[in-house]
Amino acid sequence: MLEVLHSLLFSTLDAAPALVFAALGAVLSERAGVVDVGVEGMMRAGAFCAAVAALAMPTPLAVVVGMGAGAGMAAIHGWLCIRWRSDQVVSGMALNLVALAGGTFLLESLFGPNGTPPITQLSRWDIPGLASVPVLGALSGHAAPTYLALLVPFVFQGLLTRTPLGLRLRAVGDKPHAVATLGLSVPALRWGAVVGGGLLAGLGGAVLSTAVLDRFEQHTPAGLGFMALAAMVFGRWTPVGAFLAALFFAFGNALRIGLASSAPHLMDLVPQGVLLALPYLMTLVLLGLQGQRSSAPAALGVPFEQESR
Amino acid sequence: MQRRFLVLALAALACACSKKKEEPSSGPAPTPAATAQAAEKAPNAVGLVIDVGGRGDHSFNDAALRGLELWASGKRYEGGRYVDASAQELRESISSDLASIAPSLKPLAVKPLVLQSKAQEDYAPNLQLLVEQGAQLTIGNGYMLANAVRDVATENPKSLFLLIDSQVLDAQGKARQLPNVRTILFKEQEGSFLVGALAGLVTKTGKVGFVGGIEVPLIKRFETGYRAGVMTTNPKAAATLMGVYTGSFNSVAAGKQVAQDLIAKGADVVFHAAGADGLGVIQAVKEARAAGKSVYAIGVDSDQSHLAPEAILTSMVKHTDLAVYQASRDLLDGKLVAGEQVLGLKESGVGMADVRVDFPGKAEALQKVEALRQRIVAGQLSVPGTQAELASFQAATP
Repeated sequence: MLEVLHSLLFSTLDAAPALVFAALGAVLSERAGVVDVGVEGMMRAGAFCAAVAALAMPTPLAVVVGMGAGAGMAAIHGWLCIRWRSDQVVSGMALNLVALAGGTFLLESLFGPNGTPPITQLSRWDIPGLASVPVLGALSGHAAPTYLALLVPFVFQGLLTRTPLGLRLRAVGDKPHAVATLGLSVPALRWGAVVGGGLLAGLGGAVLSTAVLDRFEQHTPAGLGFMALAAMVFGRWTPVGAFLAALFFAFGNALRIGLASSAPHLMDLVPQGVLLALPYLMTLVLLGLQGQRSSAPAALGVPFEQESR
Repeated sequence: MQRRFLVLALAALACACSKKKEEPSSGPAPTPAATAQAAEKAPNAVGLVIDVGGRGDHSFNDAALRGLELWASGKRYEGGRYVDASAQELRESISSDLASIAPSLKPLAVKPLVLQSKAQEDYAPNLQLLVEQGAQLTIGNGYMLANAVRDVATENPKSLFLLIDSQVLDAQGKARQLPNVRTILFKEQEGSFLVGALAGLVTKTGKVGFVGGIEVPLIKRFETGYRAGVMTTNPKAAATLMGVYTGSFNSVAAGKQVAQDLIAKGADVVFHAAGADGLGVIQAVKEARAAGKSVYAIGVDSDQSHLAPEAILTSMVKHTDLAVYQASRDLLDGKLVAGEQVLGLKESGVGMADVRVDFPGKAEALQKVEALRQRIVAGQLSVPGTQAELASFQAATP
């Protein structure tokens, strides 16, 4: 029994970081009022650039390059949505499509159809003493992003709720005109949030190609970005909420796998497809229940124009 | 202003798409570049639409591509164009279970036209595009293309089509025949039976695992064959065999998570039939080996040994490459007829790749597997392909 719990916990912690970072990135961008549908594309850019960079430099540095790539994609989004006030959903979807086609194109022209050569993975950390403790031992033996993913959401939450900058970020997503009235720059705040969101999404993607796998696989991130959006909604646009939702999704998946291997007869009762769709179903149900009292930022998706009201 | 830059974004998008078109790749509608290609059409063009798994899956699609590009036309795809492949390259790409027919696999005067599909909606337009580019034979690789092949073949009765892994199905899902479509099904269960028999002999923990992609009858054939194989050589391991489906064919992370779970629960041989998810399975096995566990993965469709030479016990190879090559040859000889083909061990449609790793009792184990192979080829042993057949197989096995 303990072993089953151990493997559940380990699998959850191993699979969650990419989802957590992407969800946090989406929260950051959307709290400032910029819809972040392009998170999938930013993750893909991060994953690709990190894998390519890791061929030439130490892997931790390559992860930073991947974050930069995510921020670069986000900057395109920001330029279109903030500078030119274009439709944020369309811009995000365009970003996803460009990343999908562009990633495959670059991969094939640079490395041939077989993908990037294997790289050195991020090393896994064994926490001395902890590894032998039952259940809690599952906390040991992960790569750095896992531990980072356990820390960052709380720092982010603190920043958002307890600092002046956090207040401004929230205000710019809810009542940008009020922020402008105070003499603060709405575009600057939104730029910061969008690029920051890109950094986080890029990190999420980089984790996929440097910790989960040891190269860029052509389908990466295979819909994980949309799952991150679901986690963001499910977590009611708060960092810790999104973190818990991401953990919950990862745990649900680990549980499904664990049940399928340990108790196959249980799986005959519930079709696996239903379980696979569960995160999305739950998000839909939650959105439906919230109805008008949605916790989405009030000015989400509305381009800021000084002259408008 | 807003609209202007939206247009700009879409233009950038169109740019990215048309770039992809220059290399033979996906796209919903014919472009000037595509029609220009059609104008210089070769006399014997064979088109191939691969499924969303894409080129470079080291598995199912790569097998079909190998059959068309390397074997039939003697070309290698590199950096977006075709270069001539050497005779040695051709020889090395033919897996050892085809040794007896390898000399007959000579390059033909065939021009490959390949399109990748980025989404399910691409299948029908891609097939139609290849027909318009002058492909006499157009191949749909994978069961996901079944409906697209049916529709495009009905609209283009003068073109020939090859559909792999599925029959032509009508709207009610019933099998039917079209006068210009050849369909090929494989007895995946027979090849899976052999790797299962080997897994049963190799396991030390007495636990083996199976990772499937999407739970469809096709993938079920892999599982039931594998289960029957394990049952034949190691009934105890068959009783505890863990089979889990990832629900996708394109998520490495999902495959890895499933394999990690199976390994944590003691499985030391894991067979996958999960497309790109399988790359995650192999990754999990590689990492478990690095952590000091003695575990093996069994590859699928193509010989996947090169992905992790230490960790891959063998692969269950499915010779779509051969099926594609033979169809191309039949086309040239004017002998390509419509109808249904079912290829098993006997027809070299499936098989077991070379075992390149060493383990105690290897020679003996391989002998046993070979004996089983001969019994299947001789028709003395029938391998279950469905859950119901597996149940009766179980009853018949002491």
